[in-house]
Amino acid sequence: MAMHEGLNIRFLKLLGYFSLLIVVFILFSLPTRLVGAETKKQETEHYCLSCHSNPDLSMELPDGETLSLFISPETIENSTHSQEGIECEACHTEIKGYPHPEIEYKSKRELSRAYYLSCRKCHSANYEKTLDSIHAKAAEAGNLDAPVCTDCHGAHSIQAFDQPRAIVSKTCGRCHEDVFDQYIESIHGGALIGENNPDVPLCTDCHGVHNIQDPGSPQFHSSTPDLCAGCHADPELMQKYGLSSNVYNLYELSWHGVDVSVYKAMWPTIRHESAVCTDCHGIHNIRSAQDPKSMVYPDNLLQTCQKCHKDASPNWTSAWTGHNEISLERTPYLFYVKQFYITFSRLVLWLSIAYVGLQLLRSIVNRVRRSIA
Amino acid sequence: MNRELNMDKSQVAKGVRIERTFERFSLGQRWEHLLILTSVGALILTGLPQKYRAAAWSQLILSTPERVDLIRQLHHIAAVVLLLVVFYHLGHNLYLLLKRELPGDIFPVKEDFRDGWGMIKYLFFLSEDKPVYWKYNFEQKFTYWFVFLTLGAMGVTGIIVWFPIQVTQFLPGAIIPAAKLAHSTEAIVLTIYIVIWHVYHVHIERLNLSMFTGRLSEAEMQENHTLEYKRMIMEKENIPESQETKIEAD
Repeated sequence: MAMHEGLNIRFLKLLGYFSLLIVVFILFSLPTRLVGAETKKQETEHYCLSCHSNPDLSMELPDGETLSLFISPETIENSTHSQEGIECEACHTEIKGYPHPEIEYKSKRELSRAYYLSCRKCHSANYEKTLDSIHAKAAEAGNLDAPVCTDCHGAHSIQAFDQPRAIVSKTCGRCHEDVFDQYIESIHGGALIGENNPDVPLCTDCHGVHNIQDPGSPQFHSSTPDLCAGCHADPELMQKYGLSSNVYNLYELSWHGVDVSVYKAMWPTIRHESAVCTDCHGIHNIRSAQDPKSMVYPDNLLQTCQKCHKDASPNWTSAWTGHNEISLERTPYLFYVKQFYITFSRLVLWLSIAYVGLQLLRSIVNRVRRSIA
Repeated sequence: MNRELNMDKSQVAKGVRIERTFERFSLGQRWEHLLILTSVGALILTGLPQKYRAAAWSQLILSTPERVDLIRQLHHIAAVVLLLVVFYHLGHNLYLLLKRELPGDIFPVKEDFRDGWGMIKYLFFLSEDKPVYWKYNFEQKFTYWFVFLTLGAMGVTGIIVWFPIQVTQFLPGAIIPAAKLAHSTEAIVLTIYIVIWHVYHVHIERLNLSMFTGRLSEAEMQENHTLEYKRMIMEKENIPESQETKIEAD
């Protein structure tokens, strides 16, 4: 009996240890997930901010610039990274504690350009894209002001990039001031800034985002009609604004359009002289065709044509049929020529076939008759 | 075995039949035709790739921007040649007509409509005989005037699209796209007409090379230009019997 009880106690003890192990295991595994949300409270951030929340904290760089070391707690706590639980050391990898290692950068710019490499750790796809951009090429050519990730996205203040939408174009406008000034005067920019319109293109809709290409290249020029067609050939979208979605199709049939499509398909790297959308309508300063300031407004059209057709006279502008189907009202000459040839070419074709066919038949019949006779 | 020989009358031997040939086109007219044939051919061949630039076959020909320039230049050179031939033709023949040295056989007359109707009856088996013709039958006159008007239209529209800036100094701009459409469509119409109508009549129906040799045989004259043949026999003194005879050995 005693032996039996002793066994029983040993079994219970074992069970006790086992359940303790399970409890410990549960405590170590499951709760970490719960505590994980809690770690977003950013312990390191608090630790760093204990010094860096001092607005007067700064240091002098070797080139004499003063680098402020102040980080506004409010800014960083509202940043996307902080709210996702990404800690200071995720980017500031070389800093493990206090005191910090010596800063080797000579200037603020050098520091920014070095630090943005940290973005690559997580955002490698977009980082790779930037290497192919005109900004990267400008930097390679020695322009250290060419933007890096943080110049557009911010560093400690990093936020969702497109809320509100206009922020994208405003960001580009910080450096490209002239272009931005034209853009906000344009039909696209005006609607973006004024109405927060969701459809009008931002800078990045036409130029791309991270791998922004040289807009002065022949490739960019040749592919401009396709770029515009992305919206202007979309019937649903154009109907919303009372615009024709046929402009691109009709352009493709025009002298300019055929030339451009051939160059695009066959010789994309060779610059051609035929006009694309932006050559007549303007680029960043594009306006409604009904706007008296528009480059294609009737009063301004001749001047626009003369950019390429130097000696064009006032009659010249009516050679352009517009992005319109052939119609009696708009293009009577073209209309009558088309109507004439619809009838005439068929008449010639079928009369020739019929006449020659009948003659052939008659001569065969004659031959057969002769051979019988 | 047939042999063609140009022989003096004195050499004509026994058992040899003399076949007379009749002049149909002068050397000048044959040169005009040859120049029109080559220049129009060149214009069609250099024009079609430009009209169908978006097509793959065209892009095989116009494979570089330099080729496009080259083919345009060739088109313009051929156009200038054709223009000169047309102006020569007009000037020369108007001069001859005014001097009453050209009979004006090519102008359409009432008879041509009657012949046309006669031909339709023949083709529909309503008549057993073809109409009989003078020097030019109604088909040939139709071809001449069709090509005449087509070349006129091609010339005018071609110059408009070649010099659009200059033309719009005094003409409305809207004629440029209209001229471009007319030029490129008329070219197709002319090509269709030549390939179907003209090629059938001079190569398939019968091989008529008088536009190159200048002459028709007596049999051809009798069959195809019966009235003209009779007239020529009547005015026998006009037939240069002793020259250009074609001799066939038995």
